[in-house]
This record gives sequence, C-alpha cells and structure tokens, in this order.
Amino acid sequence: MASQQIINPIEIKQGSGQNLIIRWQDGHESDYASDYLRKHCRCALCVDEWTGANLLKPDQIKPDVHPIQIQSVGRYGIRINWSDGHNTGIYTFKYLREICPCRICEE
Amino acid sequence: MKIDQQEILNTLKTVTDPDLHRDIVSLGFVKNIAIQNGNVRFDLELTTPACPVKDQLKQECESKIKNLPGVSSVEINMTSHVRGRADFGQSTVLPKVRNIVAIASGKGGVGKSTVTANLALALAKTGARVGLLDCDVYGPSMPIMFGLVGKQPDVTQEQILPLQAHGISLMSIGFLSTEKTPVIWRGPMVHQILQQFLTRVEWGELDYLMLDLPPGTGDAQLTLTQTAAISGAVIVTTPQEVSLIDARKGLQMFEKVNVPVLGLIENMSYFSCPDCGKVTQIFKRGGAEKMSQELGVPLLGEIPIDPEIVETGDEGKPIVIAKPDSQSAKIYQIIAGAVAAQLSIAHMQESSNSPVDIKWQANKL
Repeated sequence: MASQQIINPIEIKQGSGQNLIIRWQDGHESDYASDYLRKHCRCALCVDEWTGANLLKPDQIKPDVHPIQIQSVGRYGIRINWSDGHNTGIYTFKYLREICPCRICEE
Repeated sequence: MKIDQQEILNTLKTVTDPDLHRDIVSLGFVKNIAIQNGNVRFDLELTTPACPVKDQLKQECESKIKNLPGVSSVEINMTSHVRGRADFGQSTVLPKVRNIVAIASGKGGVGKSTVTANLALALAKTGARVGLLDCDVYGPSMPIMFGLVGKQPDVTQEQILPLQAHGISLMSIGFLSTEKTPVIWRGPMVHQILQQFLTRVEWGELDYLMLDLPPGTGDAQLTLTQTAAISGAVIVTTPQEVSLIDARKGLQMFEKVNVPVLGLIENMSYFSCPDCGKVTQIFKRGGAEKMSQELGVPLLGEIPIDPEIVETGDEGKPIVIAKPDSQSAKIYQIIAGAVAAQLSIAHMQESSNSPVDIKWQANKL
C-alpha cells in the first residue's frame, strides 16, 4: 500500500537470555529486554486511552518480569502473557519497530 | 527435427503472467511436459481457477509453442492450485482455509451482502471451494439470499456444520436464531459469537472463505482481524461522497491491522436501461475510481443498479445463479476473477508471515 509501509518481522524469538529478538524484513534486528517491553505496554490499563498519560509507575514493574507465552494477533502484532499476570496489551509490529532500543533507532 | 524439453521451457519463459509480472516457468506454472513425435503436451497450473487471464495465457502458450520447428500439435491442460496464506495448515483458527477474504464497507446500505453472495457464487462457479460466513450479527441477510430462512445447522458440542446452497457452504447468525437470540448485541457478545464462528464451524477444506462483515469500523471488525489471519479485504462503496468518506475509514482500519486491501468495488455505479441500453449516471460517476488512484488500491469493478440483482437476491437465488447470462452476472464473474488475482498477487508479495507461538523459558540465563 502506498500510504505507509509497514515493516514486517521475519523472525520473532527469545534471545539467549530474558530478551526478545525480532529480525525485520529490511535486515534490521531489534533486541528488547523483557522489563523494557513490559514498561512499554500500550494497553488501556497502562496508558490512559484519552489523554495518553502513562498509568504505569516504573517501580511497579519488577526487574525480573518476563513473558510466559507470546502469540500472534491477526497479522499485525503479538500479545504477551506476562509473569505478573498482565496480558491485555497488543504490541503491533509498527509499535515494536518504533520502540526498538538500538542506538541507530534511538537517534 | 527433434524438439527437446529445454527448448519448450525456454519458449514458455517468454510468456509473462500480466498480474504477477513474472514468467510462467519461474512461477512454477508449467508441469508434466511430454513430447511425442512432434506432439507437445503439458499442464498449466494457475494460482486460481478464477484466473481472469486464463484464456489469454493458454492462447499465448499455444501459439508460441506451435511456432517452434518440429512441433506439429500442442495440448495444454489447464489446472489450478490455489495458494494459501502463510499460516495455512499451521494456524489454530481455520487451518484448512487457504484464503480468508473480508468484504467490508464503511457504511451500511451499500449492498455489501448482495455483492458478497454473488462474488462467493461466482468464485464457486469457476471450480473453487468456497464458504461464506455472514458476520453481520445485527442484520444477517444470507438466510434470505440463499433461500434458507428457518433452516438450522447441525450443532454438536464441538462443532457447527455449515449449511449448503448453490454449491457453497454457509453460516450465519440467522440460522441460529431462537426466541432467546438477543435483539441488542453488547460488544462482548459480538466478540463471543464471532469467535465461535471462526473456531467451531467445520468448513472442511476451502479455497476461499468470504466474510460478510457488518458495516463500519468497530468491535466486530476488530475481533475478526485479531482472531483470524485475514488474507485480504475488499471494500464495497457507492458513488456518493458520504459513502466514499466511510470507505476511506475502512481502508485505514485494515491498514492499521496489516490486512492488505485487495481493492474497491463500486456498487450501484450506474443504471443501464434494460429496454434501450442507455446508461444513466444516477450518482456522480467515478468517485471510487478517483479514490482508488489516490490511495493506490485497485478498483476491482463497478456494478450497475439492476432491479434483477435485488429481485433474485430476495428470491433466494442470487443473480449469478438465477441469470448467469445476464450482464450483471457477467460483471460479477469478472470481479470475482479480479479478487482472486489480487489475492495471488498479495501472496507473492508476502514475506514470511507465519504465526508466532513462543513458550518463554524463564530460567534461560
């Protein structure tokens, strides 16, 4: 589609430790720490739907939080079942690419 | 002079599929070449039985091979193998369905159900295995259009068996209505019934499952796109400006959930007088065409206002079945081919879109 190109993942897998790795269509690779992903949840319980204000206090998230299971949502994202019981967030591929923590993307 | 297989392949390599923009040999269409005393035989396996350029491809192959020295006759056997979505066979939702096509509209009253019914039947007429799931919980119309009012499917603990009509499998909330069926649908109930439809209906193997979506961009659409890996969406609109504005919204919704929009269909495009053949533009013409150019999605076709389309639908036999030789039925057949072709194109462009299911290892270092 002409308007906005979505970059799709080619591979999504657990890294060598408590990290998630996504290899993208364009060759880029993203490496997310578990707690980083948990803190970036965009669901209505974590982010106010009207104001966009963050409802999640950073100290609410334990550093050892980790996924239990990760599954596809349609063809546009993934849902993560977290060890702290949270499971309402959908991480779209577009959003995951936006929050890629690597230095090239951060700039 | 003796002809060999390589020569045949080299020649067929010069034949290009106009939709997929690649030659038919590297697309893997050419199969089982047999040469016997100047007689050349082979199979041409297309990506859909509804291929709109079927005859054109066959003719081109025939004439090119015939012109080779040493060839006295050519026999081409046309077959098809419908390509499936990337997670075909692996998905827990609809694993035996190769293509899931959502038919949507931004607003109600554009004739989406009529279009869906006729497209499904047109695809089935080409030889494809087709199912139709009426997802419009608010106003299911498929029971009427297929003459199945009052009919009920077999429902067991695990599965629901779809009804059969005019060669396709059908399921609709209309078949499950009892006095207890709610008149008002709360969001969570819509979600639940649609999930049941997607997971419990035993469709068998299908090439195409058409989903007739309720109008708009809301809960139902979201549930469907989150539950099933939809192969593509078709947006039905009418020429009026309001309809086009809403169609644009539908398009944006599918973009958000990464479902490729296969194209637009403009319904009630024009009126062609059955007596004199004069074409009258009742609404301003060309709105959908303009939009398709603006947004870069194909215009799959324009369907005229034709009282016979409505009458045949009301009588339980859509026009593609009731009057297959009518102008409108022919238009539907062409559009069905265009939809199938766009699906084949979408599959070609798709990279790896296999489903993710990761069981996390918490004790990994």
